[in-house]
This record gives sequence, C-alpha cells and structure tokens, in this order.
Amino acid sequence: MSEEYDAVIIGGGVNGLGTAYHLGKKGFTDVAVVDKSYLGYGASGRNGGGIRQQWTSEENIKLARESRKMFEDLDEELEEDLEFYQGGYLVLSFDEEEAEEFKENVKLQNRLGVESEFLSPEEAKEIVPELNISDVVAATFNQSDGTIYPFKVIHGYANRVREMGIDVKEHTEVLDIETEGDEIKKVKTDKGEIKTDTVVNAAGGWSSEIAKMAGAEIPNVPVRHEIMVTEPYQRFLEPMVISFSHGIYFSQSEHGNIVGGIGNPDEEPGVNQKGSLWFLKKFSDTLLDFIPRFSGVNMIRQWAGLYDTTPDAQPILGSVPEVERFYQINGFSGHGFMVSPMVDKVTAELILGEEPSIDIERLSVERFEEMDIEEEGGVVG
Amino acid sequence: MLTFFLIFHNLRKYFYRKPKLENTVLEMSERRIFEHPILDFDRGDEFYFDFEGEKVKAYEGETVASALYADGLRKFTESKKLERPRGFFCAIGKCSSCIMSVDGRPHVRTCVTQAEEGMEVKRHGSKPKFPEVDIGRGKERKEKKIEIAVIGGGPAGLMAAIVSARNGADVHLFDEGDDLGGQLVKQTHQFFGSHEEDAGTRGIEIGKELVEEARDVGVNIHTETKVLGYYEEKKITVEEEGRLTIYDTEGIVYAGGAIENYLSFENNDLPGVYGAGGVQTLMNEEGIVPGDKVLMVGSGNVGVIVSYQLLQAGVDVVEVIEALPEIGGYQVHASKIRRAGVPISTAHTIKKAIGEEKVEGAVVQKIDENWEPVEGTEREVECDVICLAVGLSPDTGFLRQADCEMEYIGELGGYVPLRTEDMMTTRRGIYVAGDAAGIEEATVAALEGKIAGAALFEDLREETEDTRKSKEEAKEGLVPVVLSMRRCADDWGLRPILLNHKKGDLRMSRISILPSSFTKGVNCG
Repeated sequence: MSEEYDAVIIGGGVNGLGTAYHLGKKGFTDVAVVDKSYLGYGASGRNGGGIRQQWTSEENIKLARESRKMFEDLDEELEEDLEFYQGGYLVLSFDEEEAEEFKENVKLQNRLGVESEFLSPEEAKEIVPELNISDVVAATFNQSDGTIYPFKVIHGYANRVREMGIDVKEHTEVLDIETEGDEIKKVKTDKGEIKTDTVVNAAGGWSSEIAKMAGAEIPNVPVRHEIMVTEPYQRFLEPMVISFSHGIYFSQSEHGNIVGGIGNPDEEPGVNQKGSLWFLKKFSDTLLDFIPRFSGVNMIRQWAGLYDTTPDAQPILGSVPEVERFYQINGFSGHGFMVSPMVDKVTAELILGEEPSIDIERLSVERFEEMDIEEEGGVVG
Repeated sequence: MLTFFLIFHNLRKYFYRKPKLENTVLEMSERRIFEHPILDFDRGDEFYFDFEGEKVKAYEGETVASALYADGLRKFTESKKLERPRGFFCAIGKCSSCIMSVDGRPHVRTCVTQAEEGMEVKRHGSKPKFPEVDIGRGKERKEKKIEIAVIGGGPAGLMAAIVSARNGADVHLFDEGDDLGGQLVKQTHQFFGSHEEDAGTRGIEIGKELVEEARDVGVNIHTETKVLGYYEEKKITVEEEGRLTIYDTEGIVYAGGAIENYLSFENNDLPGVYGAGGVQTLMNEEGIVPGDKVLMVGSGNVGVIVSYQLLQAGVDVVEVIEALPEIGGYQVHASKIRRAGVPISTAHTIKKAIGEEKVEGAVVQKIDENWEPVEGTEREVECDVICLAVGLSPDTGFLRQADCEMEYIGELGGYVPLRTEDMMTTRRGIYVAGDAAGIEEATVAALEGKIAGAALFEDLREETEDTRKSKEEAKEGLVPVVLSMRRCADDWGLRPILLNHKKGDLRMSRISILPSSFTKGVNCG
C-alpha cells in the first residue's frame, strides 16, 4: 500500500488531532493522522483533565490563558459536551518561601489577564470545607481554571476532522521517516508507506524516537506518572486541588469520580505504563492528609501515562534545524492537554506559513543550544 | 392493617401458585422456595434489617440483595448518565448493578454482602452523597508474606489449593462470595462423563466435598474478600474486612472463572433481564425464584439446564429461543424441558424487552439463514424475566495486569492466556485453571486446578509422589488440543494454548486434534 498526503501527523492524541482540526478549518485536509494504538492511548487518554492558567512563566501563562478561552467555545465547535467544568484550581502552599513565590506568581498572572487570587488557609477551606488546613500556609485560586473530559475532546476532534475529509489511522505504527538531504520523502508504517514532505511529531512520550527516525534530535525523555479514580459521589469538590511540594493533584469529574495523581521524584525515565504499589500507598496516604474523610472512599482503578519531559519542563514547538518541514509539538512535561488549543492552532499556522497567533520562538528546540532557559516551576503530579 | 395484609398475603399465594413439578412449594408473596424436589434450603434464623425505613425479612446466610429480591424489590440502583433503573443481574459481585449504601457505607455490592440483623440499607442511585462522617479505615493496611495465593474458590481453585496444601505448602485461597464452590454449588443436575469420581454426582455435592477437603488439608480460606490487583513481583492487593492487605506471594494460581455474555437489544438493561448464572445463584443457592414467567434466551447447555431448574423451582418457562437453526445443548436436557411442555423456538432472536421500571414482556422475532431479522415475524411474549444464556467469557483482567500473554481463541470464549500443559502462563510462577483459561465445564476446571496446584508446588519446592500422581491422573482425564502456537517467548519454552476436553466429550469431533508431539516443545531449542 502506498499513499500520498500533504502532511502526516504522528500521534492520535489531543495535539495531533487538534493540529489536524486547525489545518482542516483552513481547508488543508489532505492530511493523515496516524497512531500506533487507539486514539488517546498516550498521555491524552491517561491524564487528569486539568485546565490551569496559574503558571510561573510568561509563555505558559499566555498559552494557558488563550487555550482556556478556546476551551470555553470548544463544546460548540466540536458539537460535543466536553464536560468543561470551571470549578477553579486551588493551589496549596505548605511553606513560607513558596507562599512568597505564590504572591509573585499571582502578580504576574494578574498582569497577563489571569484573575488568580492569593488566599489564606481559612479562605481555602471555604472553597473546600473538607480540607485539612493544619499545615497549609497559603493558597492561590483561579475560578476560570477547571477540568475537562479528555476522551470527549479527543473524539470530538477525531469526529470533526474525519468529517472534513482528514484520514485518521489507528493501529498504524511509524517505523521510519525517510529523508533525502534535509527533505522528508516518506513515512514508513507497519501498514505501508506514505509519501509526504511534511511531518508533525505529536508522539508524546515517543517523540524522541520519532525525531531520531527523521535524523533530528530533541532532548525529550519519557517519565511515568501515575493516576487513579475513585467511586463516584455527588459533587462535593468544586476545584482541582494541587500542591507542588507534595506533587499531588485531585479533582472531581462531572461523573462524580475523584481523579488524582502524585509524582514520584525517584521515577526512572523510560516507557513504563504499569501501575505501582508505591503509587497506591503514597497517593492514598497523601490524599488522606489533605482530606481525612476520603478514608471511606474506594479507589476503583489506577493507571499510568508518560510525561514527555524536557530540561526546562516547557514544550518544544516549531521546526528543527536538521530537517525541513518537520514540526515539533511535544515535550509538554505533563501539561500538554491544557495548552493544546493554542499550540495546535499555532502549529497549523506554522505549517501553512502564516503568522503565528502567539510568538513561540522561545519554545523552539534551538533554545537548548543557546542555553536560554527559564524553567517552568509549576509542574505537578 | 395487619389482618388485611395477611389476607392479601394468602390470596396472592393461592392466586399465583402454579407448581410445575411435584414437591415444590413456593411462598410466592416473598418468592422464597420452601420445598424443592432436589434442594434442601437450610435456612438459618429469621431476622429483619432496615431498608429505607421498612423492615425486610432475611434468613441467616442470605445476601442483602437476595433478601431484598425476595421482598419484591426490583430497582436496586440507577445508571450513571441516563439514570435508568438497574436491578439484580450477575449475583456474584461482577456487574455492580446492585450497589447500595449499607450501614452508611456507600457503593456496597449487596449481592456479595451477607444480610445482618439491624443493618441499615438504602439505595443511593449511581452517585451517593459524600460520606457525612468518617466511615473509613484511616491509613491502616497490612502486608503479609505467603507462599501460594489461589484466586477463586470454584472447582479449579479448590482443587489447586487442595493439592498444593496437602503437600505442605502455605496456601491462601481468596473468594469474593460468602460460600466457596464457585458455580458448582448452583448445579442441581447430575454430571456425566467418564470420570468416575464425578459421574452421577450433582454439582452441589461435589462442591461441598471439595470445600470440606480444602479445610481438612489446611488451606487458609478467605471468603468475602476481593482480590483487587496484581503488582510487580507477585504481590497482590486484597480487600478484606473493609481494609487493604498486600500479600507478597511466591506463586499464584488464578482461577477467577468467567463473566456472562450480554446481548444487545432494546431495553436490555431493564431489571428482569438476568444472566443465567444470576438466576441460578438466586434460585439454587439462595432458594428464591426470579419471577413468574421466564423467557429463556439461548438453548445451549446452560439455557436448557437452567430452564429445567426453573421448572423444578415451580417457575413457568414460557419459551426458549435460540438464534441457531438447531438446539445447542445436549438433547437429553432439551427433551426434559420439552416433555414439560416448554416450546423451543430455533432461528429466533429477542428484539426488545417491554417495560418501564422492570420487564413486563418481550418481543421476539425470527431470523433468516444470514442472521437477519425477518420483518413481520415479531410477536410478543408475556414474561417478567428474560434470562440470558448466551455464553461466557473468561475473566482475565488479573492475568492481563500480570502481563501474561493473551490470545483470542473463539472456541475458548475470547481472550485467554497462553499456557503450558502444566497450566503455567507466560509468567513464571503464575498459573491458571478453570474457565479463566478458556470456557469449558466443571470437571475440566477441577482437573486443571489439580494440575496447576501440583505443578506450582513442584515449581516452588520439589516433585513429590503426590504431585506426580496428581498431574498424571488429571491429565488422563483430559484431552489437550493445541489451538495456537507461539514462538518461544523466553527460556520457558513453548506456550501452546490448550483446549482441555473431558475424555468422551461429544464436541471433540469439532476440533482437529494435533499429534501430542506438538505439545512437547518442538522448535524450542
């Protein structure tokens, strides 16, 4: 089987499908999206669905802000109830030094149009009455943050792009990318060859591997992060609750289940998507410290996904120096879903040679050569 | 008020009583069977618990779900999105359509929870309120080292546990239900076959004997415990008495059985649409009839046997429908229900269930040779129970978690683990037996359990006279059929999937038998 497309997008997650959607909206529909498994097999189908604008770097705040606005309209665009619930994000701090940083963060966020607030522990408890605030020093809260149901977003995009005439090929694994000089010629898959000169690398935890196939180098490293879901309850928890120092996040979905995860600082890098006993114990113990009444609640599933991490915990966007028309949209380090609408739009603009809606120059892979790095401090889970 | 109730009570009894077979006495107002031609329901003391402010009668040994069913309750919970009524279905803790709040704890599967005097039971739909008080367990959990975990207390698990324990292993057997014996304890029919120890014996009796033997040889039995997950290095998590215990094991026999298949048709989620296994549990274990008029879907062995059991329990089986052009089960069972006057309609399917809150009838329809429904052949069947006997699928989630390699084998009911003749999966020290290894029947399950228990013991300790003989004897009763061959995955050699048939099984001719050399590890140098 040999086919030809104007562009091949590798990765059937939110950013691959979202980029296809924005290309399609501009009439560029001779596109194939390929995924080695089912849609959302990677991090897009394994994350907690958080949409947060409370970031510490200007790029991320802007990206998140614009993306949140786009999420607000996405139901209508995708003709799907995406269960976007803006119950806010409550960020807890457990030490004075961090609390001081929080004040600075809020200032920066406010300046960029994100209406976050700095709260006392008592004010935080008003938002989550069950919260144990005995060790909480301060908190920040932003009402327009929230959660969304990731699978509905993915399938909403997939349904719309298929209607536009874009081909979405599941269970099609990319084995190699053939280049001549600095030009892409073919994408070789286990289902046959695809002729194209444009490739989008939206492969999440597998992005480094894909880049290598095209002869490019990106510094991304996959790291397992684990997550769980409990039995459903009537809504009692409005916001997503997170803590950077504890590495925990949890929220309640529209279906009533508590969804949450916790990061393991000692996690070995590599592709591993199995649930661990470490997580089971660590998450449940930490959750009980935050909300003791959770001890009556049963966890019903745990699973894991991959953070596609970069040295500065910021995404890699745009082209690479080694190969022409090889676009990166990866390295999201655990927050690829929440910024997806804007980065997908910008990636589509870059492919079509249009002026990008947001300047993403500083998120190019070349930043690592120039050592111009500002690390994002607001990573959780 | 009480007088009126009693009169009504008695009237209903006369009005509804329609015993099909002699010696069956039904107390229809509460749907408990008090006399049965074969079964003797050894009910314990009568007591009451509270259900949404009303007193509900139960007998010692009954589950909460059964007592409520006997009392006439049909809607147990609601579906999550559309809030449609959900009722009793699987009866063995697998489907979660019976969850309620028990003594303030929400999400309790009432079909695997024993009723207790004074208990407070409430429905909460799919989403209960977040517990008002801390009803939890705190952070307390136990970690224990054990030698062998056997998961599932049916014939396969019991046999595996017996063989390894009687050779001196420290064996722990886990089962979700309050009684061991798996599906055997629901089987009122006599087993037949070449194996002398089982032939002519009813399933319930075999089950009881195995349980007794397991206790005698020192198996540590854990009932009403849920094995939740498999973790690296043969650690399993178990919920026991409401708390989490982590068992660090050296070897595992997984005998988790099967899940009943469902069928797609309009309104198939109404209370009153039950799996045949659920009906058997309710009727033959708990002594409660599922309803008055049953439409049986499926005429395989399960369909015809359960139809006969329903007749034994005094329930009207209005019709058996079968999608195939011929009856799937053994003629000997089919003839029995035909003699009792039950029509069997082949080349028929169910189009929809009628009813709002529960089943009040069904529409059945003819299908042609291409399995297409024939327009204009729809007709209504009057029934209050639709019993689905449309096959089983191996319950293999645990084995997947353990990364055992799986393969789809239609003859075995779906995805099954690759395994050796000794029942070891592609994971060393993890064995499988019974329906989880492929849908067969109870004798095969018991023999597979015997092999697995002996082989795991040899794997962990050493070969003994007893393990050698147990394996030999069990293998004599089975005819292994190689259905799939994988290349050697590791140094453990070939992993054929074997379909074990009981010797003399009538269906043997349907599958070609490969020479036994194929099972010995060719191509694995």
